[in-house]
Amino acid sequence: MAKITRRQFVKAAGLGVGAAIAARLVPEDYWDSLFRSDRGSSSTASGEEKKYSTCWIGKQDCAIIARVVDGRIVKLEGHPADPRTRGTICPKGMAQVMAVYDPHRLKAPLRRTNAKGQQGTWEEITWDEALTTLADRIVEARSKGDKYLVWQKGRSKGVPFYDKAFVEASGAITLQNGAYCSDAGYRAGEYTVGRNGVLHPDFKYCNYLVSWGWNIVNAGGNKSCWIQWNRLLVEARERGMKVTVVDPSIHGSGPHADRWLPIKPGTDLAFFLALANALIAKDFVDKEYLTKHTNAASLVKQDGTILTDISAKEVVWDSLSGAAVPFDTPNIDPALTGEYTVGTDTLKPGYQLFVDHLADKTPAWAAGICGLTEEQILAVALDLGVNARIGSTITIDGVDVPYRPVAIHGFHVTQQELGFQASRAALLVMMILGAIERAGGQFIDYTPTNASEFDSWNNVTVKDSGYNVFLKDSKFYPINSNSSGIVAQVMNNPSKYDFQESELPEVLIVHMSNPLLSFPAGQNDLAESYTKFKFIAVIDPWVSETADYFADVILPAALLEKFEGPFTISNTYVSATTIRQPLIDPMFESRGEIDIYLDLCEKAGILFGSGGYLDRLNAGLQLVDPHRLALDTKPAARDIFDKWAKSMGVPDGIEYYVKNGVRPKETYTPEKYYGSIMTPAYGGLRHRLYGEALGRYRNTMQSMGVDKMYYQDYTPFPTWRALTKDLSPPDYDLTLISSKRIELKQSRSTSLPLLKELVPKQKLFINTATAGAKGISDNDQVYVESHNALTGETRRVQTVAQLVEFVRPDTVVLSHHFGQWVHPVARDSGPTPNSLFFAGDGYTTNTADQSFHVNVRVWKVV
Amino acid sequence: MVRYAMAIDLTRCMGCRACVEACKVENNTPQGIFWMWVFRYEEGNYPNSKIRYMPRPCQHCDNAPCTKVCPVGARFKREDGLVLTDVNRCIGCRYCEVACPYGVNYFNWKKPWKNQYYDWGEEGLPYRNPDHEIEYEGRLVSGGNHFVGVMGKCTFCVHRLVKGLKPACVANCPVNVFSFGDLDDPNSEVSKAIADKNHFRLQVELGTEPKVYYLGAPLDPRVLRKPLDSTREEVNP
Repeated sequence: MAKITRRQFVKAAGLGVGAAIAARLVPEDYWDSLFRSDRGSSSTASGEEKKYSTCWIGKQDCAIIARVVDGRIVKLEGHPADPRTRGTICPKGMAQVMAVYDPHRLKAPLRRTNAKGQQGTWEEITWDEALTTLADRIVEARSKGDKYLVWQKGRSKGVPFYDKAFVEASGAITLQNGAYCSDAGYRAGEYTVGRNGVLHPDFKYCNYLVSWGWNIVNAGGNKSCWIQWNRLLVEARERGMKVTVVDPSIHGSGPHADRWLPIKPGTDLAFFLALANALIAKDFVDKEYLTKHTNAASLVKQDGTILTDISAKEVVWDSLSGAAVPFDTPNIDPALTGEYTVGTDTLKPGYQLFVDHLADKTPAWAAGICGLTEEQILAVALDLGVNARIGSTITIDGVDVPYRPVAIHGFHVTQQELGFQASRAALLVMMILGAIERAGGQFIDYTPTNASEFDSWNNVTVKDSGYNVFLKDSKFYPINSNSSGIVAQVMNNPSKYDFQESELPEVLIVHMSNPLLSFPAGQNDLAESYTKFKFIAVIDPWVSETADYFADVILPAALLEKFEGPFTISNTYVSATTIRQPLIDPMFESRGEIDIYLDLCEKAGILFGSGGYLDRLNAGLQLVDPHRLALDTKPAARDIFDKWAKSMGVPDGIEYYVKNGVRPKETYTPEKYYGSIMTPAYGGLRHRLYGEALGRYRNTMQSMGVDKMYYQDYTPFPTWRALTKDLSPPDYDLTLISSKRIELKQSRSTSLPLLKELVPKQKLFINTATAGAKGISDNDQVYVESHNALTGETRRVQTVAQLVEFVRPDTVVLSHHFGQWVHPVARDSGPTPNSLFFAGDGYTTNTADQSFHVNVRVWKVV
Repeated sequence: MVRYAMAIDLTRCMGCRACVEACKVENNTPQGIFWMWVFRYEEGNYPNSKIRYMPRPCQHCDNAPCTKVCPVGARFKREDGLVLTDVNRCIGCRYCEVACPYGVNYFNWKKPWKNQYYDWGEEGLPYRNPDHEIEYEGRLVSGGNHFVGVMGKCTFCVHRLVKGLKPACVANCPVNVFSFGDLDDPNSEVSKAIADKNHFRLQVELGTEPKVYYLGAPLDPRVLRKPLDSTREEVNP
């Protein structure tokens, strides 16, 4: 590998972009500087307390300091020693103090007094009654078998130990919400490079970032919190990093984007293939990475399977000896291109097949599909290729690290019909450049550890029948993201999925999740499926829309008045731990979730003994003797965290966190952070350029007789096809996409008046020229009607138009967060785009992930 | 004597409004009242559109028009540069609101305990900040519109400065957009920020001598289309 010295690099870079590169991953005085910070809470006076906890409202549980006066929380500020936020907190976190005191919080457990499927009427009951009612239903469901209890939670906060312990002890089927978020990208990351995550940059050294389908200033990172993402972005920009935005809408990226390519929604896969084509055509290929760390050189037989030797090792063609040898044979030169004869078989390396696959996928070809020009696509390819500096290294902390300072951030590329393969295609582009986990390059998970799914997605035994309600390992979705939308399809029409009606689940626990409102098609497809559950319990601080229509009982959860966690807080280069601690006593009769589950499990007879909830807590929190929980005594939540802290080697236990809030955990070293210099490289994984298993699943699915729509995207390489949504009639001439607003977090913050006043109502962002052609002016009331290209069903909402220039003329945007009807502050704020999306065929990926694209027409209300 | 000033780096701002919310909670300002506001503008036409941001606190002018029109001396400028309102003196004539070219004054029309988003009743706002019940330099100048019929605006968090803390907006900016400190100290954050980067001030042609410096390219009114914010009627119905 050619080694570029710093002097040579600066000269070669021309622009001097590299001149600011520090030679350290993390400054030596990093932790000292955090604890020295002058930010944070004001000095305390009499009657005043400074208390530590973590933010509740947001995505990432940032560490906070509370100013508490006479038992009232007066203000929440960021904790200076949180490596992500360094003493700041986002607008949601700042405003959440009002959520604690919200007079519309649930005051006591409630029992429904009217029929389900309509707005609820309620009576207050005691905790004992509520928990006994639910526990009886759990016992009944478990007595029938292991298929009848379903547990569904929104994003789990911190280590999901108390969740997991309940699921394991009760045997519940878990429904997750990732299929509505980025899970298609997770599946692609897990399968392709064995990392659990989606694409994001090594900000510290990246020089060229493509922000793909991503609101670079308003959305936060993949596993980063919103604040940390922006801090890294600003620092990288000031260092000279260039940013290209590829997105139908540039959103708020304005001052932070150098170029905008307004791509047509859903066509990203074609763009990625064209990038790969152009990079290969111009020989921007990291052949060393491909041969050493991927299966690009593995010989593929004409039936699509990879040739293996008798010990099942993949075989490559060694150009030096002119023979087929196991891939890990020392001193060989594996061929990436060509055609070879082994025995009677004619074989090609995976890379050669990829080159063949891309032959006609030129930038000119993609331009027509993506609504861009050939020059625009070529420019991105050249930027990536030149800035990748293939073959170069950089010295960090005294260690030579391969240097490929280019990356894509592609979180929301996942939320489309071809999301899995588009995400995989993005990874393949970065693999061509050799940028995976290289300095400045393409990261997937910033604490790179091997994902067990790397193997499991490669070895799915595809079932013809006998799968569970989310169709795990089924012939429909062999790689599966566990989607509530698919569960709804199965419950509404079990025979279509060869599913026995008698095996449909009966009892549902919905914990801090509001699928009816927050999930696409919630009020349509999902609502119908909810009518089939015999009993539904909701754990939530408010009456959610889901609870309003379908709960039999509601259990009021606390917000900041409880123990929860533990949380690892990382800025992607250093990490710390923190926990949520009660700042005040629980408001009203609410309770912390750990307390709720302890009592619930006790009543359901699954708390004590081997395999019980306490036993599972010991395992989930990795408690060690003498700090393990006794299996015959119900502990307090505080004791659980005390034992956790002591098991982690903190002698003071919980007291450390009471006094400090945050504890430094780890500073990443280059050897731990950069994949190819790890021991073994990339954790011993060979990345999958060629997706052999995908082709295998396709053949199995076909042989089991499933419809083409399920297997068509199981191809070894990502393959472009026309989108199902575009089968809608031409008068549905616009594509609806959805977005988020920085002030709001999903739907829960819209009921917070401090935030709601910043974004009071739903608006349809529509391009000025498009609106003009339709006779629509600013603030006009408009109808937005979506069309299901397969069933012909239409769905319609009414909202207000806002004419803007930052959206493609053929695209319109609605933000999430709206559509509530229960909370008095949130209601009457306009519709949610979820009312326009469709779940199921045509609108999910081949991995059961939800698409957030649908064709719509828009006209003025007269 | 210290001479307070603020610098706002427009090249860093993400438009997130963490400063707005920090101000609202710290100062307990009533509904619809924003002592700190972040404007969002769209510039240019598709496909050359850009959204830009501009935080706007009180400019704490050295030659403050608002102080000159106050008939009762309630609006005044301190030696350290803060432009403040003595709420015990304010008679609510709103002359300062008319005189200010920056639109930073908010008159408190409603009973404060009825206009803190909810009617909190006798108990009052649960997260009320006790610092605003204290006089600073002998005058009641801190905090947000606790009395009906008086004027309020950004105080640069006078109650935090006495504790050695920065204004709430400055302390809470996730991307360090703000610098604050003593303009007469060449080593202060604000002096260094102004020395390091191109800057401009708002409407200096009026002779107001504002003490808020904006870093980065001036927002060009010729290319501004319109604010992307929600209308005032929506924010404060």
